[in-house]
Amino acid sequence: MNDIKELKAVQLDALREVANIGAGHAATALSQMTGSTIMISVPTINIASLEDVPTQISEPEEPIAAVLMHMVGDLTGRTLLVFPRPTAMRLAELMLRRPAGSSTEMGPLEQSAIKEAGNILSGAYMNALSEFMGLMLLPSPPSLAVDMSSAILSTAFLQFGTDRDHVFYVESQFFLQEQNEHLRGFFLLLPDLASLQAILRAVRLA
Amino acid sequence: MSAPTEIRVKVADFAVANGGTLLVTVGLGSCVAIALHDPDARIGGLAHVLLPSTGMSQDRSNRAKFPSTAVPLLCERMQALGARPGRLRAKIVGGASMFTSLLSATGLQIGERNVVATRAALEHAGIPIVGQEVGGDYGRSVYFDVRDGRLTVKSLKAGHVIL
Repeated sequence: MNDIKELKAVQLDALREVANIGAGHAATALSQMTGSTIMISVPTINIASLEDVPTQISEPEEPIAAVLMHMVGDLTGRTLLVFPRPTAMRLAELMLRRPAGSSTEMGPLEQSAIKEAGNILSGAYMNALSEFMGLMLLPSPPSLAVDMSSAILSTAFLQFGTDRDHVFYVESQFFLQEQNEHLRGFFLLLPDLASLQAILRAVRLA
Repeated sequence: MSAPTEIRVKVADFAVANGGTLLVTVGLGSCVAIALHDPDARIGGLAHVLLPSTGMSQDRSNRAKFPSTAVPLLCERMQALGARPGRLRAKIVGGASMFTSLLSATGLQIGERNVVATRAALEHAGIPIVGQEVGGDYGRSVYFDVRDGRLTVKSLKAGHVIL
């Protein structure tokens, strides 16, 4: 398999299942950390040209907070957690045990809290993947960017990808249910092409 | 002056226009916006380039994706509208490094490489760079008024800059 467009339906199903296990663990971790109910969507597998990716996830100029982590080991690639600004602020409040609506500034403490939330979430996701597939997976320290959605996403895909024409990503949406608010975020798994193959081998579908 | 018509330029896309037009491209991260202007003819062209080299891509059909092909493309289309090559001036924006703490030990970041490749492509075409707002660690949006060549760069972190 040299081309991500050649994946068969059964392989896509397997990848979706792998992502679902990862996202389930991440949601549990987030729920424990915040004491809130977290719901996750069925993961979607996306193959898009680099040009189209940023607009598929959110409005290009929408301010977002994104936590990027590299995975190394038997699998290589990246995970990217994307929170629209309102979600990021609420998440920071939950992490810092502050009342809802009390924080408006994205200061160093808030940024640090979001980065740590990202670290825990991605760590849970990667751990679940690693155990399920019997592969070693090591997460790098997290890196945070708070800026326009398109600027962050295009760079995240471009800077580190190996295929520069198409990107392959598995997306899980999660929803944070808080009194009357519905806050959402995205978890993106971006395996390198070679690692996609390793995942499929691990679930015996290569 | 009446409000100009706005044309949005997407990622790896371009547009040329004359008269009362505002060429806009939003959310530049490591990408670079190349704005060319012929002040006498009031003709402008804007490209949103993605990758520093055609060698990094298998699909090279889109000329607006790379600096080395986007600059000649803009020149051709602008000349078709009546611009003269000798009068063209360039302004460049973008090429940021959004995730600086993950700087790899080897080589440049894509953003920096995009800027280097853009400068090389403009020099090759003999077009002087008269304004730039590049590098850094934040995203930018560009609003290019074709009437006077004025470029407004907006960002969440650094506010507005006019080139």
